[in-house]
Amino acid sequence: MSQLYAFGRALALLRDTWKWTFRGSLRRQSKVFARQLYEVGNRSLLFITVTLGVLGTISVFQVLLQVERILPEFSVVGPAFIQTMIREFAPTIAGLIIATRVGSGIAAEIGSMVVTEQVDALRLCNANPVDYLVAPRFWACVIQNVLLTVYGGLVGICAGACVAHYAWQISWGSFFSLSLVGFPDVISGLLKATAYGMAIPIAAAQAGLETTGGSEGVGAATTRAVVNASFAVVVLDFLLSGFSFLFLFGNP
Amino acid sequence: MIGWVSGLGAALIGLLETLGGLAILAVRIVRSMSPRTLDGRETWRAFYKVGVKSYAIVVMTALFTGAIMVIQAGQFVSKAGATSFVGWAAGFAVLAEIGPVLIGLMFSGRVGANNTAELGTMVVTEQVDALRALAIEPLGYLVAPRVLAMVVMLFLLTALGDLFALFGGGVTSELLLGIPFRVFAQQVIEANLTSEYLLGLVKGSVFGFSIAVVSCYFGLGVKGGAAGVGRAVNNAVVLAAIGIFVTDLAVGLLWNLL
Repeated sequence: MSQLYAFGRALALLRDTWKWTFRGSLRRQSKVFARQLYEVGNRSLLFITVTLGVLGTISVFQVLLQVERILPEFSVVGPAFIQTMIREFAPTIAGLIIATRVGSGIAAEIGSMVVTEQVDALRLCNANPVDYLVAPRFWACVIQNVLLTVYGGLVGICAGACVAHYAWQISWGSFFSLSLVGFPDVISGLLKATAYGMAIPIAAAQAGLETTGGSEGVGAATTRAVVNASFAVVVLDFLLSGFSFLFLFGNP
Repeated sequence: MIGWVSGLGAALIGLLETLGGLAILAVRIVRSMSPRTLDGRETWRAFYKVGVKSYAIVVMTALFTGAIMVIQAGQFVSKAGATSFVGWAAGFAVLAEIGPVLIGLMFSGRVGANNTAELGTMVVTEQVDALRALAIEPLGYLVAPRVLAMVVMLFLLTALGDLFALFGGGVTSELLLGIPFRVFAQQVIEANLTSEYLLGLVKGSVFGFSIAVVSCYFGLGVKGGAAGVGRAVNNAVVLAAIGIFVTDLAVGLLWNLL
């Protein structure tokens, strides 16, 4: 039951964030917004490169070991890998990575502001914490999550191509084939990235704003932010995959 | 130019310091982990908090993971018409790769972050110093039980979670692809994925150890009050996630080459 209430409060926070955005929050907080774009985007680049690179390497490696036993040739591996990467792995793994890095960062930052009564000070100055703190982080996260997903997908595909080329002598040309990739695949991937980009900062900001107690509370809030944000990514992935399967890819 | 180079050097030195600290801590934890020094009640409590309390979130994640993998495999099936392929593809992806990694990431968020926050709070409120003043070694009393609990519990949670993932996959294949649950189950069994299942379990325990060492390292190194605890948790989950992917690659390569 308390989970349902928490979900309702998250939806209310999402609504407030949109409301303050339409009232020109980003224009007023343009400096905070620019800073958050840097914090979320640039500072996650290395993290995304490492994780998606490793993911591309290991998936192609394991798939090729299996395919080797069944199929005589590998021309289908590259296109199928690229398609799955665009539809599924680039958005979801990048989303989980952003959920751990950015989600815990937002919750820790806002949580320690709450504990040291800086948020109350904001309210005293007649500044709304959603307007001042949440909206810039929300939009920074949405924009950068989409960009990082595109970047991460490229890194993963290139890492996979290197494995295929150097360990199995598959030519670059037959691996980098977009024959299976269509417009719906790209839409599906971008839809997922956008949805995760919205869910992560809301889950994290909610955990941060609801912090109580001292340093113990900040720790608990950060934990809750990571768990809720990652779980939101997994559930949204399921919903959007099902949606794409039924409506975007034209399956019966 | 000079600023850029010195920044790179500082980052490199910081990274090496962290890695060295992690290695030293890992060795010291393993050394302090003898049945004689392990506190029974603290260990039992750690098992409960690490395992039982994260059971629900792991099961939920696993159910959705299996469902997602079946949907992804199903897209190839409805184009090519190879229905017998679903059980093998989804089972293989879940057991060997995606299941352990997603369960590990979830576990790192739930248990690893919690552990860093708890140890960090103890450091900040000087409870760890109080332990030392009572001549109790914090590494043996606080850290070793948690590390043991994380290794054992992530192993068990992966073992169970994989099965829940296959169950979720079966339900999805019946509802969405129109392949009956029985047929899906039969395909998974016929695909003979024992070696993939074992690989996943090995990955689970290795992830458990790396999550445990990373979270304890950052928890014990907290400086500076509530903000410090938040920063430590943030650093811990980031490094634990990198650790999961890097050890995933290492275990996968070793498993297939040996």
